[in-house]
Amino acid sequence: MRGAAAAAVGCLTRLSPAALAVKFGVRQRSPHCLLVKEHRVREGPGDTHPPQRTLFVLNVPPYCSAVSGDALSRLFARCGAVQSVDLRDKPGPGEKAEKRTSKFFTNGTATGFRVAYVVFRKPAGVQAAKALSQEGPLLISTESHPVKTGISKWIARYADSVVDREELKAEVDAYMQDYDKKIEEEEAKAAKEEGVPDEEGWVKVTRKGRKPGLPRTEAANLRVLEREKRKKARKELLNFYAWQHRETKREHIAQLRKKFEEDKQRIALMRAQRKFRPY
Amino acid sequence: MYLLAGGKDPKSASISKHLALSWLLHVLLRARHQGPLPQSTPLPARPAAKHSAPGTTCRKALRSRHDLPQSDRRLLPIDLGGPVGGGFKEPAEAAEAEEMEQGLHTPAPGATRGKKRKVAAPVPAPALQPVKLSRAELYKPPTNEELNQLKETEDLFHSSLLRLQIEELLKEVTLKETKKKKIDAFLHEINRLLSAIPETPETDITDQTWLPKDVKVPFLQVPFNVKGKFRFLPPDELSVVGSYLLGTCVKPEINVDVVVTMPREIFQDKDNLNQRYHRKRALYLAHIAQHLSKENLFGSVKFAYMNSNHLKPILLLRPQGKDEKLVTVRLHACPAPNFFKPSRFYPSKNNVRTAWFLEQSTPKEGAPEPATPHYNNSILCDTVLLSHLHFLSSVSTDFPGMKDGLALLKVWLNQRQLSKGLGCFSGFLVSMLVAYLVMKRKIVKVMSGYQVLRNVLQFLATTDLSMTGISLAKETDACLPTLDDFHHAFEVVFVDPSGLVNLCADMTASKYHQVQFEAKCSMEILDDRMVDGFQALLMTSKPMLRTFDHVFHLKHVSKLQSACKKMQLLNELMDRGGNYVAAALPFIVSLLTRGLARRALLVAHSLPNTPEWPIDTEPPKHKDVGSLMFGILFVPDFAASTLEKGPQADRPEAADFRTFWGEKSELRRFQDGSICEAVVWEASTICQKRLIPEQIVRHLLKLHADIPESSICYTGALLESVIKNGKEALGTGEEDMVSVVCSYDDLSRKLWNLEGLPLTVTAVQGVHPALRYTDVFPPIPMKPIYSFHKQVKTRHLLLPSEEKPCPAYITPLKMICHMEGSGQWPQDKEAIKRIKAAFHLQLAELLQQQHQLICRPAVTHTDVYKDGYVFRLQVAYHREPLILKEVVTPEGMLKYQDTEESQRLELETLHQPYLTSSLHGLQQQHPVFGSTCRLAKRWISAQLLSDSISEECVDLLVASLFLHPAPFMPPSSPQVGFLRFLNLLATYDWRNNPLIVNLNAGLTDVDCTEIKNKFVAARSRLPVMFIATPKDKWNSIWTQERPSAQILQRLLVLASESVRALEEQLMDPLSSQDVKIVFRPPLDLYDVLIHLNANQIPRHLERVDRPVKSFSRGVVKNSAGVRILFPVVDYDPVQCYLQDLREAFSDLALFFYDKHGGEVIAVLWKPSSFQPQPFKVANMKGRTVTTLNNELVCVPNIEAILEDFEVLGEGLVKRVEARTEKWTV
Repeated sequence: MRGAAAAAVGCLTRLSPAALAVKFGVRQRSPHCLLVKEHRVREGPGDTHPPQRTLFVLNVPPYCSAVSGDALSRLFARCGAVQSVDLRDKPGPGEKAEKRTSKFFTNGTATGFRVAYVVFRKPAGVQAAKALSQEGPLLISTESHPVKTGISKWIARYADSVVDREELKAEVDAYMQDYDKKIEEEEAKAAKEEGVPDEEGWVKVTRKGRKPGLPRTEAANLRVLEREKRKKARKELLNFYAWQHRETKREHIAQLRKKFEEDKQRIALMRAQRKFRPY
Repeated sequence: MYLLAGGKDPKSASISKHLALSWLLHVLLRARHQGPLPQSTPLPARPAAKHSAPGTTCRKALRSRHDLPQSDRRLLPIDLGGPVGGGFKEPAEAAEAEEMEQGLHTPAPGATRGKKRKVAAPVPAPALQPVKLSRAELYKPPTNEELNQLKETEDLFHSSLLRLQIEELLKEVTLKETKKKKIDAFLHEINRLLSAIPETPETDITDQTWLPKDVKVPFLQVPFNVKGKFRFLPPDELSVVGSYLLGTCVKPEINVDVVVTMPREIFQDKDNLNQRYHRKRALYLAHIAQHLSKENLFGSVKFAYMNSNHLKPILLLRPQGKDEKLVTVRLHACPAPNFFKPSRFYPSKNNVRTAWFLEQSTPKEGAPEPATPHYNNSILCDTVLLSHLHFLSSVSTDFPGMKDGLALLKVWLNQRQLSKGLGCFSGFLVSMLVAYLVMKRKIVKVMSGYQVLRNVLQFLATTDLSMTGISLAKETDACLPTLDDFHHAFEVVFVDPSGLVNLCADMTASKYHQVQFEAKCSMEILDDRMVDGFQALLMTSKPMLRTFDHVFHLKHVSKLQSACKKMQLLNELMDRGGNYVAAALPFIVSLLTRGLARRALLVAHSLPNTPEWPIDTEPPKHKDVGSLMFGILFVPDFAASTLEKGPQADRPEAADFRTFWGEKSELRRFQDGSICEAVVWEASTICQKRLIPEQIVRHLLKLHADIPESSICYTGALLESVIKNGKEALGTGEEDMVSVVCSYDDLSRKLWNLEGLPLTVTAVQGVHPALRYTDVFPPIPMKPIYSFHKQVKTRHLLLPSEEKPCPAYITPLKMICHMEGSGQWPQDKEAIKRIKAAFHLQLAELLQQQHQLICRPAVTHTDVYKDGYVFRLQVAYHREPLILKEVVTPEGMLKYQDTEESQRLELETLHQPYLTSSLHGLQQQHPVFGSTCRLAKRWISAQLLSDSISEECVDLLVASLFLHPAPFMPPSSPQVGFLRFLNLLATYDWRNNPLIVNLNAGLTDVDCTEIKNKFVAARSRLPVMFIATPKDKWNSIWTQERPSAQILQRLLVLASESVRALEEQLMDPLSSQDVKIVFRPPLDLYDVLIHLNANQIPRHLERVDRPVKSFSRGVVKNSAGVRILFPVVDYDPVQCYLQDLREAFSDLALFFYDKHGGEVIAVLWKPSSFQPQPFKVANMKGRTVTTLNNELVCVPNIEAILEDFEVLGEGLVKRVEARTEKWTV
């Protein structure tokens, strides 16, 4: 991840990035500045972001990311047909593109300023996009395709948060069936291996077998140690030898001294803070 | 001190004016971002030779940035030396990082002294370090001396810490030797001057023409005419008496009492009568004053009343120059020894004739003259001054502990405001009490100061001097008055060694009971090992406002004149020399005590205090004592009861009851069949019930003392208006809270008994603050209006409509539903999520089928609409946090490690429910806990800081006030609780102390010590605010992320300002008492204000100052809805907006908002983010690229960001107001 980022920076400083001015709508006066450049990484090319055809976009304003980069693809459509737009929090290697396997069980995506990988169908799109910087500010929300922000966006978000019961149920059921099957297989495999020595002759002891072994957890280990300690302590006689008696006295005085020192320090601190002025 | 004299217009006055100068956040924030400074991380691709270049440019740029905010107008005042800013001014860049590591800063040591520390060097506040002693040091053989000291500590003091603390305190309060020399020299001078005063010719007392015009007689000569002759003769003798000679005087006020003995020739035979002695005494002092005022030895020559007793003026002399504050010499005049015959002044004797007092020419025949014990006592006092000194000095010889003990006792009394004013428990009285205990062998001369303190408190706690007086007189002379005689004449009895003088003559029984009560509390504190007794007893001041649950002022004491008339107190008036305040006070207090008998633990009054006055002005009148203040401490169980049950109607006491309560008393028949006299007070809500004592006070004072309601200023519930919801609300929401909890209980019962679930529900636990009574505005049952919303019939729910104002905010009341553990639960975190979702679906279905509740399931929860509330059910599986923690080590060992996810889940399903149930229990013990908490939270959110500190943290802070109230009692009114909350925030030393909140008494003192020790050892790694509870001893989970050091510092500043402003308002009965000023945040120091459209703020009605215009919110108050479309839940556009803003701009700015109806979002730029940063992919957010000295750097694109604020909040934002132009380079 970091390597890639550093690489990206390297590229950017060598080939200065093109800055595109972007505004939300006609009414806004000050544009944001999108930085675009060709996507280049030193490691082997990823599948999702082919180096020739991918445009790396920095500083994508928060309202662009509303619906999976729709606005961005429209923005760049004038440079050539856009194949896909991948919006990310951070720049990173391409292959770890998140697959949206589930409609319901995904972590909420953050908004804010982000980076994007815009993949064109043809390499020419990338160059055309870089040339856009000469033109005036681009508009994200146009009359024909308004981008929802503010109240309307939040209402839409609220509406989206309502789930369809049937759909959710179906998804859960499907997942659980898969999961059960997987567990079953694992168990069957474990049962088959039960008590069967491996090639070096070791037998794996699990909790399922006839003689369950201790679970290999940290807590269990600690428990055993604790028990041993207690056993040892029970056996010991505390007031047997004269030196033991002496020791306890010495220990007592040492305790008092330690306490005294602590108190002295505390007092010194309080004095420094003038904690002793009653009023 | 450092405040502007703001607030001329009280209505618009906000605390902002007070705070304008103490706004530190700016400075603080500069210290905030200690992340790697950009210039220190060079770009990897850059050649090494270039490294220095970006560094220098950045630093240059940085300096220019740095200069900018300092020249900013807002920071100027801080540079002028605001005391709170002591440690923070201009932190050097290098020091910043260090400061951050140290975390929280207590105000620097110089803070309290202010003036001395002009130079603002960032003094790193010291912090406790764990003590490390080498083995050799710890185990070296002890010396005899050391052993002795250790033993002494064990025997004579509680602990070594207490011993050291007391020693330090004594060092602070006792007088230094060098100062004593100065004082001695001053006294010699006075002696010399006094003997040189010339005599005057003899004149009538009434003929005062010989006295020059620039001296006024320090005596209220009413009636003026009195027989007798006066002449001035130089004093026979001059002697120093009192605490100075005994070495027991205590700072801050060093008084040296000097007695001037008036020669016998001045007096005539009947001088004991009709204030003749007092007038001569006053004339004598006036003459001295006139002569001394001409000397330049004195900085000031003034009169005062001795302990505010107007019969006893004294002359105050202060040295010239810078020693003026050092000492006050108090000149008393006393008669020649043995001039007066003691038998004339027995308590039963009369020395003020009625005829003279009423200015009648002939005495009324036959009527016996009433006794004048107080008058007699005032003369007797003067005759025994010297003998008291001898007595005390004989006691204090060979008794070093007495001196220390008296100093401690005086500090104790001072902190409780008991040692000043008419009828105070003075230092002299305490000395006599110690002498008494020595006489009774309760104190022996080997005792330490701490033991003297303890024994005196023990004695006070167990002895009621108003019932059984004590006497220092040794021999029982048959002709001396007995204790019974004294009890007849005085409320509190403590007779001096002569057997004649009552030392407690002016004290009211109520005042003594207060002393007794304080002593009792203090003994409990000393015996409690969990409390820092030293701090609570000697270092915490107890002003009345923070001590008593309700406080009221008698605005105009002159009204007491008519009270005296009404109560027929002529004899008392005569006895007190016409002081109607002193005459009426005991009666009024006993009246209130009787009226509030069952409700009040203690009814106390402030001591009337007359100020000193210059010699050329008339002495202050009785009404000049200002307003009298009364405090009531409640018995929480009975304070709010509406019924005052009297005796049965046919009993003789009934008549008495009727006269006491007047018309309010009526016959009532009770459930047990008895017919009794009773008073019923009108109150429908809990908030009104809390004010029943007010009704009683007003009624009784009107009825018995003729004091009109307008002159009583009752401050009990002034603050509560800020937690009232809506316009028509009568109560403060306690009732709403109860009905929420009832509905919740019902739902949880239904959940337990739900049929058809594959696993049973083992526990249902509330999480939402409303379920622990601490929600600022409890939810109100609501039913949506369909036409106001967009309807989605297919899914049975409503959506907010874009055209209409935002619908009312409906809080989801979150509760956790624990499911039974079973082998069927999958042991995989993703699978558990699915199963939980399935449970949510099923719960929704079953609740709908079996109980006809409409539900809206989601992945993480199910919302249930019930009784007009929306409950949010979340299913929990007890092993899930464990599964989230599982880590397998390379050796195959299963380990548990906290992850972010597991911690969040534990917080939700373990800690929050536990806290909720604990605090729910606390509310049952202390009925005002909830309201106090709500006030506290309301204040924090009004100061725009509610997002910067967790709600649970505030709950715990308030809980600590109830669980560890020492030295106070647990609050019984929200107001006093809130004041103490502010005080706790303002004064607690978070840097060196953990706050231990012993919920359910789950911690022992051993635990507490352990927590403290570990805290000290690990201080730097722990959160700035550390709160330990029984279930959370080491982590302080509620304060881990919030508040940050800067926000906490800001809170402290705000709290100390607020408490000061608030107490000022409450203490001044003649002002408007606008308490809301502490709820109006200062806005003038933020960089950007985002003004919002009121119609899109769903909680607009909760504003501190109620909005004039309100919008329909599409709901009706109703809980009956059964088959309805599901309302809009948890939809607050402002919160959505804030979330968007924070996600997008959190590294550039901080956003502050009052979630209870605030109309403004305040934005503060983070200064660090305005430093130009080298171009980097990760740095680009919201920035633009420019070139600075041929370097690519990025700076925030502020103009565009400001427009983004508008774009993101389309429809919600009214206007974005940029107040500073800080970003322009």
